[in-house]
Amino acid sequence: MAIQLLNGVVYGGLLYLLAVGLVLIFGLREVVNFAHGALFMLGSYIGYTLAAAGHWWLGLLVSVVVMAAVGCILDVLVFRSLRKHDHIVTVLITFGLLLILETVVTVTWGKAYLSYPVPKLLAGTVEIAGSPFPIYRLFIIAVSLLVAAGLAAWLRFTRMGLYVRAASTNAHVTSIQGIDVDRLSLVVVGLGTALAGLSGVVAGPLLTLSPTMGNYILIDSFIVVVIGGLGSFGGAFIAALLIGQIHNLGAIHLPWAATMLPFLLMIGILIWRPTGFAGSRT
Amino acid sequence: MSEGFAIQGIGVERRYGGFSALKGVDIAVKRGEIRGLIGPNGAGKSTLIDVLSGRVRGQPGRVLLDGKDVSGLKPQERRRLGLARSFQRTNIFPALSVEQQLRIASWAVADAGVEEVMAELNLTALAGMPAAEISYGDQRRLDLALALVGRPRVLLLDEPAAGLTVEESHGLATILRDLANRWNVTVLLVEHDMQVVFSICDGITVLHLGQKLAEGGVADIRADQRVVTAYLGTEA
Amino acid sequence: MTSIVDKGAPAEVRPASKTARILGVAALALAIGIAAPWLVASKLTLSLTTQAIFDALLATSVGFLVLQNGRVSFGQAAFFGLGGYAFGVLVARQLMAPELAFILALALPTLIAFLLGIVFARITGVAHAMLTLAVGQAFYEVAFRWRELAKGDDGMSFELPERFFGFASRHFQDPAVMVVVAWSILVLALAGLALFVNSRVGQIAAAVRDNEERARFIGHDTTIPPAIVYAISAFLAAIAGLLQATYNGYIAPQMFHWSLSGSALIMAVVGGAQFIVGPAIGAVCFFFLKDFAGRFAEYWPAIVGTVLVAVTLLMPQGMVGLASRAWTGRRSKP
Repeated sequence: MAIQLLNGVVYGGLLYLLAVGLVLIFGLREVVNFAHGALFMLGSYIGYTLAAAGHWWLGLLVSVVVMAAVGCILDVLVFRSLRKHDHIVTVLITFGLLLILETVVTVTWGKAYLSYPVPKLLAGTVEIAGSPFPIYRLFIIAVSLLVAAGLAAWLRFTRMGLYVRAASTNAHVTSIQGIDVDRLSLVVVGLGTALAGLSGVVAGPLLTLSPTMGNYILIDSFIVVVIGGLGSFGGAFIAALLIGQIHNLGAIHLPWAATMLPFLLMIGILIWRPTGFAGSRT
Repeated sequence: MSEGFAIQGIGVERRYGGFSALKGVDIAVKRGEIRGLIGPNGAGKSTLIDVLSGRVRGQPGRVLLDGKDVSGLKPQERRRLGLARSFQRTNIFPALSVEQQLRIASWAVADAGVEEVMAELNLTALAGMPAAEISYGDQRRLDLALALVGRPRVLLLDEPAAGLTVEESHGLATILRDLANRWNVTVLLVEHDMQVVFSICDGITVLHLGQKLAEGGVADIRADQRVVTAYLGTEA
Repeated sequence: MTSIVDKGAPAEVRPASKTARILGVAALALAIGIAAPWLVASKLTLSLTTQAIFDALLATSVGFLVLQNGRVSFGQAAFFGLGGYAFGVLVARQLMAPELAFILALALPTLIAFLLGIVFARITGVAHAMLTLAVGQAFYEVAFRWRELAKGDDGMSFELPERFFGFASRHFQDPAVMVVVAWSILVLALAGLALFVNSRVGQIAAAVRDNEERARFIGHDTTIPPAIVYAISAFLAAIAGLLQATYNGYIAPQMFHWSLSGSALIMAVVGGAQFIVGPAIGAVCFFFLKDFAGRFAEYWPAIVGTVLVAVTLLMPQGMVGLASRAWTGRRSKP
């Protein structure tokens, strides 16, 4: 039982890393990034390339840095210039980006399923409640908690974090106050995509790598973001844990309920309170 | 005994949680009258229009249209009973042509009146143009025209002269008064432009901080010291 | 600044002559379609064209929702799948005459869409995109897991009974026949949409799309007309799904997947969603372009993605929009 709960937390942790990136990007640019799952996938493949050659930790570092750079480029080229447009335009653009990234992966790495190795340091199991539990999975939980705590501290105690919180509430007012929203966005979007990359690397050994690995988790992370309340970091954390548990319990106990419940929650919330999304009418 | 009030608000309130934008306002406009509704910013004028037109419902107080209680009716139902309104921020259909949107409006009320309303408001020449492409002044008149299709019994106007030049406002005021008289439309007009108000209104109601401050003929209100004080006092 | 959800040319107010024109064009198109199998010898071409028409119907479904309701849906595949699955399952289990199954398989998604349209009345923009994504995927998950219904993710093949609408069923799996059937349905659908756009309900829906609040204040009910548009849209998707299922004799959960909705959306946008024929043209072009891509098949998703980005940014009116502007530009030259 404890093992089952832990597994739920593991998946929840991965979802959190991805979802919080979406929240960061949405908070500042009001963009729902349909390409986020593809960024997750790209991060995973980049990390894999180095990990398969024996440099697991380097792979993690390189992936995060590269994905951060991708995010910055994305912000400058796409999000910044589309600020004034109908928000649905950015949805389409990021959807197009998803397709492009998918091809980048298939062309570079092929379509075959790949297996991401576990680093030697984290191999093996520990005994929890009488059953063996992979140390690597504990690592995933640890990473998620670290990021959550770090993010909370950053938002709470640093000036930039304060600006992010202000801009997330009202970017227009914040820019009037003299804060350079564009420069802030660069950092924040870069951070959001870096987290997608991190999530991808960390998830690698847990899932198998394939060019479609981003699709499922994208939907799940959308569900998390909507249920957690768009723009809410704490909400994303709680919702991620919730969905992670439902997902996991579903694999074992009530597959139907577990599959449908997240969708129904998301649908229900979007119908009941579509505000918070640009373009919804009250 | 009905005095022939075309539109009446009785004890109208509007609360947002702890804050009251309107606190028990009574207003009654006689058939055929053009009533001005003025007051400093934040007085609750637009809010009163919102309540009378049905944009806001479920608040304490009643709204009567020709003696009939319409408090629970939605805006579209009130429109079909002859209560129309225009908007302060131009609220038209940008992609549709001028004629098309007026025609769509006519289907809800009279199935007619498109040509006459276009003629009255000098929109005939623009009939085929998409509303997004006409000038601001023309759009304001279109906003008004949408409310006038089918000759409504009561017309609630929320700053119809907003953003117009002095000339345009004057022209609009003249058209309004003329039309209201010929079509026997009762008008309740919110305006900041005092020239417009004093030139076409038969009576004026003054709101201040959500309550009725004064009410009477144009001359009386112009001379009323309380009104002057209210405007000067709240001038930021 | 135009965006892809910018509304198209306003419907004109001369119903009689417009109707005549629409019907005239439709009749001509039907005639061409019927002649096709005699003009085109290659069964392969006919088969490919048939599949392209299925895509065109689904793309039209997505595009029409954008045009008349101003909303982007990532879940139209739900109705595509419903049409196919309802028909396939009813026929496979021989629960009723196939003609009845046909009607039911179309009525069900249409009704569901109408109800959803009412529920979704105030939801637009990105919220609507995500909502429809979720709804579509929910359907996918059900189809994927419900093994008793139609073998879950394995998909299920089914056979039509001997006769269908008076014809021998095997004809419906002959490309030469199906291409005519599908084409005719497409032409009738497009003509129907054109007539709807000019009708009162259609115009009121357009007004609601433009400014829901004002539409209410001029006296119209703003819930039903958009719901009707939803229903029509779903009906088109359902027919497409039903036709494809019949033609292949096979249904699979992939028919519900959001990637199908997404590609239909892309075809609609690239073709030009503000024009009734835009999505269909986009679909056909994409279909044959893909076939033509040949060696570059590997790069196909990237090509699609790039085209989508380019069109969205540079020509939001799509291909048809571009062509129509070029045409009017040429005509106005001395």
